[in-house]
Amino acid sequence: MNTRHTFNTALKALPFAISISLVSAQGFAAEETNEQKIAKLEQQVQTLQKQQTASLTDRFKFNGFMSGAYVSADNNSGYMGSSTSADFSEESKLGFQATFAITDNTQAVMQLMMKGENDWDVEAEWAYVSHRFDGGVQLRGGKLRVPLFMYSDYLDVGYAQPFARPPEEVYGSVPFTTYTGGDVSYEFEFDDSTLTVQAFGGESEESGTDIKNILGANLTWTDEIWTLRAVYGQSTLDGTISRSVTIPSQDPVTGLPISIEASVPLLTLDNEKATFTGVGASYDNGEFLAVTEWTRAEVDGQYTDSDSGYITLGYRINAFTPYVTAAYYESQDDDQRPVFSQGSALIAALFNGQRTSYSGGLRWDALDNLAVKFDVTYATNFGDTSGGFQSNVLQEYDDVTVYTVKFDVVF
Amino acid sequence: MKKLLSIVALSLCSMVSAQAAVVLIGAPGTSDISASDAKKLFLGKGSSSSVPFELDEGNATRSEFHDKVTRKSDAQLKAYWSKQVFTGKGNPPATVSSAAAMKSTVASTPNAVGYIDEADLDDTVKVILKP
Repeated sequence: MNTRHTFNTALKALPFAISISLVSAQGFAAEETNEQKIAKLEQQVQTLQKQQTASLTDRFKFNGFMSGAYVSADNNSGYMGSSTSADFSEESKLGFQATFAITDNTQAVMQLMMKGENDWDVEAEWAYVSHRFDGGVQLRGGKLRVPLFMYSDYLDVGYAQPFARPPEEVYGSVPFTTYTGGDVSYEFEFDDSTLTVQAFGGESEESGTDIKNILGANLTWTDEIWTLRAVYGQSTLDGTISRSVTIPSQDPVTGLPISIEASVPLLTLDNEKATFTGVGASYDNGEFLAVTEWTRAEVDGQYTDSDSGYITLGYRINAFTPYVTAAYYESQDDDQRPVFSQGSALIAALFNGQRTSYSGGLRWDALDNLAVKFDVTYATNFGDTSGGFQSNVLQEYDDVTVYTVKFDVVF
Repeated sequence: MKKLLSIVALSLCSMVSAQAAVVLIGAPGTSDISASDAKKLFLGKGSSSSVPFELDEGNATRSEFHDKVTRKSDAQLKAYWSKQVFTGKGNPPATVSSAAAMKSTVASTPNAVGYIDEADLDDTVKVILKP
């Protein structure tokens, strides 16, 4: 009875309480309207301002990468620029990239590189404008990477590579890495994979030789575990290939022995046709890693025609990825360089070459954006050649071991 | 007795949610997406109008998500994006710092797609894929 009475009172009181609270809420709302409105507007202005500045900063993207390497070898054959004295600059580099989104589909990309091997001079490795059409076709124009190899597009970004460096036998077989021109690409999207078709054309220059009429295409299929790639490229080479040689001499005044640096013209390329064919495959399931490439480069006349290839196997154990690589390089047209004089002997010594290399290394993902790499590469099987090293034309050495400790950072 | 039952039921629920898995979310009304579209979206491929959002690096749900959807480990993903960035092909999705931030971002951004642990679900977002 008592309970019911209380309940009834409460029930009667309820509408009153509700109406009171409604009234007070209304009154409160009416009082605060102007201030609230202002606050709301202020909030909206702030959000708009934020969106505006965000959209401007969103248009600009800055990224960078850096590598520092210690390289030393057990002799002075000159493999990969190494020598018996420790070298910290040959493979050290710093890169900055700025990307500016001009519109949703058009962007400008500039990548500036400073390399130890070039005395830290600033060079633009990429500088291009790209546009993606509604149908998905992408067009790029400017200074671009020559897309001959699987790692060509990010040759200097060591962090994105499993090994200390892409095998020199393959990646050293073409002496230029950038060109000025354009490319057009299209990505065919399948359910679980992508096929990219890219055609490129332009020109380049390397050590006084014009590389003209570059024309090529490549196909890359990937499902993010398997990647298969094929490439063909051609160009016309025009210019004179010279080698600087050191000639021992005597100072005419003092009579003391000195050495003279001279540039000796060796080979004249008169619009010789050059072709390049390459195939590659990689497998990476997150644990097991395999990469292989094979290439053939041919140039009319006496300039080296070469075959090269490599295979790398790796296995990830948490932050550690031990790997092994076997690679080879072999000139295919030594009979084009018969030896009948001192000059022809020098040409044969410089342009004939063969070698096989074996590497063992470890990639350690030490930090989120830092990888440390240890690598030992042994090159041998030079046959009766210099091994392909200009500094070994006298064939002083018939093998070489190179030790590398390197760190790669992206930021 | 009822109280006891509800306590048991609640604790069962929390036990289940402790084992909950990562789910992809969109704003309410977003249509479901396929596993392969989700993979492409979070690798910056294809021409979808969806806007992906990631949790910060080092987040366990993020690692679980990539393990299931893009099949990439943290280090592989980092290497993948450094490849894309330095070839001018694309940038990684924007990141948010928590499940709560993910829900409010996804709920308020048009075409946004994110992921959270099932345990953090509420009705501000809709599950569009259970990988």
